[in-house]
Amino acid sequence: MAAPSKKKTPKKKALVPRPAFDPEQRVVAITGAYSYMGAELIKRLERDRRYYKVLAVDVRKPTFPMHKTQFHKVDLTLPTADADLAAIWKREGVDTVVHAAFLSAPTHAASWAHELESIGTMHVLNAAAECQVRKLIAWSQTVVYGANPLNPNFLSEEHELRGDKSRSRFVREKVEVERQIRRFRAENTDTVVTTLRTATTLGPTIRNFATRFFQRPVAPVLMGYDPLMQFVHERDVTDAFVAAVENDYPGEFNIVGEGVLPYSTILALMGKLPLPMPHFLAYPLSKALWATQIFDSPPNFLDFLRFLCVADGGKARRVMGFAPRYDVKATINDFLGLNPQLQVGTVGGPGEVLPVTGGV
Amino acid sequence: MAGKQILGDDPFGTGDVEDAPPPPMPESGLNAKPENASTVESDAPPPQKARAKKSRAKAETSDAVDETAEVASASVTPSPVETYSAVTSAPPSEYGPSIDRPSATRHPGLVEDVKQLERTVRERLSPPRPSEHGGERNRLPLEFVWKRWRELAMRDRSDTVDEFGRDPQVSARVEPLLDFLYKTYFRVSTKGLGHIPDEGRALIVGNHSGTLPYDGAMIMHAVKTEHSAHRSVRPLVEDFVFHFPYLGTLMNRIGGVRACPENAERLLDQDQLVAVFPEGIKGIGKLYRERYQLQRFGRGGFVKLALKCDAPIIPTAVVGAEEIHPMLTKVTWLAKSVGIPYIPVTPTFPALGPFGLVPLPTKWFIAFGEPLYYNAEYGADGANDRILVNKLAEQVRGKIQLMIDELLKERRSVLFG
Repeated sequence: MAAPSKKKTPKKKALVPRPAFDPEQRVVAITGAYSYMGAELIKRLERDRRYYKVLAVDVRKPTFPMHKTQFHKVDLTLPTADADLAAIWKREGVDTVVHAAFLSAPTHAASWAHELESIGTMHVLNAAAECQVRKLIAWSQTVVYGANPLNPNFLSEEHELRGDKSRSRFVREKVEVERQIRRFRAENTDTVVTTLRTATTLGPTIRNFATRFFQRPVAPVLMGYDPLMQFVHERDVTDAFVAAVENDYPGEFNIVGEGVLPYSTILALMGKLPLPMPHFLAYPLSKALWATQIFDSPPNFLDFLRFLCVADGGKARRVMGFAPRYDVKATINDFLGLNPQLQVGTVGGPGEVLPVTGGV
Repeated sequence: MAGKQILGDDPFGTGDVEDAPPPPMPESGLNAKPENASTVESDAPPPQKARAKKSRAKAETSDAVDETAEVASASVTPSPVETYSAVTSAPPSEYGPSIDRPSATRHPGLVEDVKQLERTVRERLSPPRPSEHGGERNRLPLEFVWKRWRELAMRDRSDTVDEFGRDPQVSARVEPLLDFLYKTYFRVSTKGLGHIPDEGRALIVGNHSGTLPYDGAMIMHAVKTEHSAHRSVRPLVEDFVFHFPYLGTLMNRIGGVRACPENAERLLDQDQLVAVFPEGIKGIGKLYRERYQLQRFGRGGFVKLALKCDAPIIPTAVVGAEEIHPMLTKVTWLAKSVGIPYIPVTPTFPALGPFGLVPLPTKWFIAFGEPLYYNAEYGADGANDRILVNKLAEQVRGKIQLMIDELLKERRSVLFG
């Protein structure tokens, strides 16, 4: 239980003037502080005077400097995690809990993943119920809808979570987490419960399954299938989380970027080499590669290259006022764009590559 | 650069974002996954280099970020070309002043000295930079190949599709083929195109036939070329066609949408012209001897839609499409394993192999009937009345059957009209 900011040096006191407790200022607890979302959120809250204190929970301490963030090492997979969390949160008077301790990519350590996601969420929800927190924000992904031939082009928040039926454990855990959160919402009516379902997140700094997938020079293509895909930029996701912390938006929200593109066009824009294969061969091949741990995507993920799984961001726009700043092409640009030579030309027509000035 | 515009609010408080490229974002934490545990510890390389390698350079502290941004501004000239113009608005700086901003005023001279020193060291250590004009710039390995490859890959597709996946460039490429089928091959003659509104939503309800959905394409092309407003029709395509490899993708790129209530509602709410074929698969898969006998109109979903979205129904009859693939019988037992509902047996297919898929050049007639305003009559609540919905569906079916019978009476020859 390292609590660095407890050792108050005069210098820090001068930087952050601390009254006894200002009810206007809030205490925010974040689980998964080392994850991309947790870390970005902490950085944003650190800069914001309206938040009195941030309680970060993870197994690993974030490496950026934190001034009003207290780090607590709590392993959510341990059976006493809920009691530990409840003790800390009660002591500090937590107002808002952001639960972001989730995996962003499937893993072979399936039982550990279950302990972290499903059981970890149970611990967090138990602790939140115990402390009677005012607000709970949970991170989910649009994969919970599942890639299914019966999906409409735009999945609304009310749509059935078909990810449940998929044989992918990664997706099933996420659906299970959503179930638990729904139950929590029904049982704790005083708590504002927000679920943010993010689409595939790309960006220059985030690292997840999708960024690894699109960094490889070759990408598998199921012959004859070319589903539409959507992305959301990492900064837009952070914005959505900050907005959810700032104001109360009970319910589930799809956090997606504007626009869709066919998978083949995405690959073409990114300059990847498509590796076409018939789907009846691709599934067993992927299964073998997954079983031998050569490849990091389970066979069921091929469904996402075959069928639609595009969510409708209309509710977030209407209710939260969430307007993504990057559309699908800008997201791809920014993902590629660390190198200006790789920027996708959009002015003079498709395929145009912009002239480059300056060195690389 | 998109990133530059986005960072316009100077999040790091350096004050010189005008010239600086986006400073490397402080390293995000990773997911709590074990194999991701190792983090890249690089001692702040020159930012350009880090960008080229796409490595996520890790800035230890926000002070370090300040430094790098400063150095970057001194050493790199920004690209004058703005790449993406859609993202314009810089976010308002709604957050209070940064509490971890370095106290630059305390020893301004010292800070400057250290920065100058660091700049000098960087310049010494980094490889010589080519001059801006005429100099050989560093190229990525295989950059030329990469660029050519991408141009090739983007050759006949556009980098923007509408939200249902219609690709204008693919549509434009398919247009001549549709035009050939429409004018020369099927010699389609239409009547009643005036019943289609110039703007606003409407539901075109037609009979379905012909084993492959040529009729949807021809209705689409008829409205596109011969209607006064040249509207584009979005046909709703049944699942089996939509998920058929290649065919489904092509249908999607030229404007087809998977048939489901959510999609239809979304399209109608956007005031689009939607074509539905309520017979669905039963209509396409009619045997030759059952031709021009309308099948059951689904469960009346299209009536519900029309009532709910306040869209007029335009009954439409297509004559000629039934004979393009005169299906004698169909094989179902083998088809299931391939993933299609049936394998058609026509005089030419599968006997002639792929040549059997060439449709017969019949003469087509398409008639659009008078619009039916059910919503005005029964209101949106009528959509919940199942008996009413079924009755109206039957009514529409009767109307279309009448129109078909009339067209058949006028027709003297299948091939010549």
